[in-house]
Amino acid sequence: MIFGRLVFIVMPIAIYLAMMWAPPAAILGDTSRIVYFHVPVAWGGVLAFAVAAVYSILYLKDQNTRWTCLDEKAANSAAIGLVFIILATVTGSLWAKMSWGSYWNWDPRETSIAFLLLVYIAFLSLRSVLNEHPRRGVISSVYLIMAMVTVPFFVFVAPRIKNSLHPDTLINAQQKMQMEPTMRITLLVSAAAFTLLYVYILAIRNRITMAEHKIDEYYETLENQK
Amino acid sequence: MVHDIYRNLKKDLQVEFRNRSSFNVAFAFAGITTLAVSLVAGGSPLSPLVHALMLWIILFFSAMNGLLHIFTREEEEGTALFLMLNTGAEAVFASKLIFNVVLFLLLEALVTPLYLFFLQVPVASILLLVLTIAAGGMAIACSVTLLAAMVAKAGGKGSLFTVISFPIILPILLVNITTTLAALEKPWPGPVSNVLFLLAFSTGVTVLSFLLFHFIWQDT
Repeated sequence: MIFGRLVFIVMPIAIYLAMMWAPPAAILGDTSRIVYFHVPVAWGGVLAFAVAAVYSILYLKDQNTRWTCLDEKAANSAAIGLVFIILATVTGSLWAKMSWGSYWNWDPRETSIAFLLLVYIAFLSLRSVLNEHPRRGVISSVYLIMAMVTVPFFVFVAPRIKNSLHPDTLINAQQKMQMEPTMRITLLVSAAAFTLLYVYILAIRNRITMAEHKIDEYYETLENQK
Repeated sequence: MVHDIYRNLKKDLQVEFRNRSSFNVAFAFAGITTLAVSLVAGGSPLSPLVHALMLWIILFFSAMNGLLHIFTREEEEGTALFLMLNTGAEAVFASKLIFNVVLFLLLEALVTPLYLFFLQVPVASILLLVLTIAAGGMAIACSVTLLAAMVAKAGGKGSLFTVISFPIILPILLVNITTTLAALEKPWPGPVSNVLFLLAFSTGVTVLSFLLFHFIWQDT
């Protein structure tokens, strides 16, 4: 939580660097500044989904014997990831309109982000259908793990198989960021800011989950005493 | 374990042979949609891409109609608990998986010629088409069997099965459509490596399903 609160310091710095300090890119001009938000939110989304998968694996291993509410925490992380991915889609779509002339082109990376949206919308639908179901945690955790197996195909493999309109400045065969130093620093600071934002929101959501769980336990104890 | 798989598979095939619920529903759906597409097209030539898309959309929704029953039947008839007590989770999953793969391959063997006949689709590479249909069908059946168990445990809603299955089998559908398109347009060998990808995907998903199935199947 304390670590997450660093977002209040790092986020304003990231916004300042993105809007004022980093130079506009050649050809694209000031529209390129959207990269300092688009890439970090996409990264935050993938991180959230990875954390959700880790929570799910832990849940299946532990089944609430040592830790509680791991499945709820996985759902919290997945929900935050979904919001991040929606933001990445919107910012990417706006940038696509400015750079390529249309909001959506079914570029491999656009396909992969649409796929991620579908997976996690399906996951949250599954959880809402299983509301109050005694095996909700197990079923949703298994689904999340199953979905995570197909994620690398879309996020890492598919964009490399087909030609993409996306620039390969960040992910390329040389595995190097092909950006000038000021832009690179801005992007890294922004990525750190959005990572902290994710950590902060997740910490709040998990605290609410734990509080709800304790209230439920308290009511159950009262019921048993009657 | 092999004996358990054989016994369970035999039971499933006998039940299916008696009421033919899965096969009838899936085949009726596939037949109706193929005829509907043919009727609407009215003999006008469609591009190979449209044919590849239509064929796999028909097969996808046929799978959604047919492959769920194998587990929902056990839950509806109240035999799931009996099966759980008498047979190991791995044997149950293996038998259900084999049943689904056989059912879907059979369905494809009937639907694909029907589609090619009614829509008069020229095929450049029959061998690649057959391999794609077989490997693609196997990949779909392997991917959705665990999901069918999940939906059956969740109360067996068909629409939920489609919603949760679609993102999982989307990579397979994309590869299936691309390879089918190549089979319709290009002579052998074409992108045979895609068939290998489908087989590798099936293997990976099956291994993962084996690891995860007992969490879904066992109530404790």
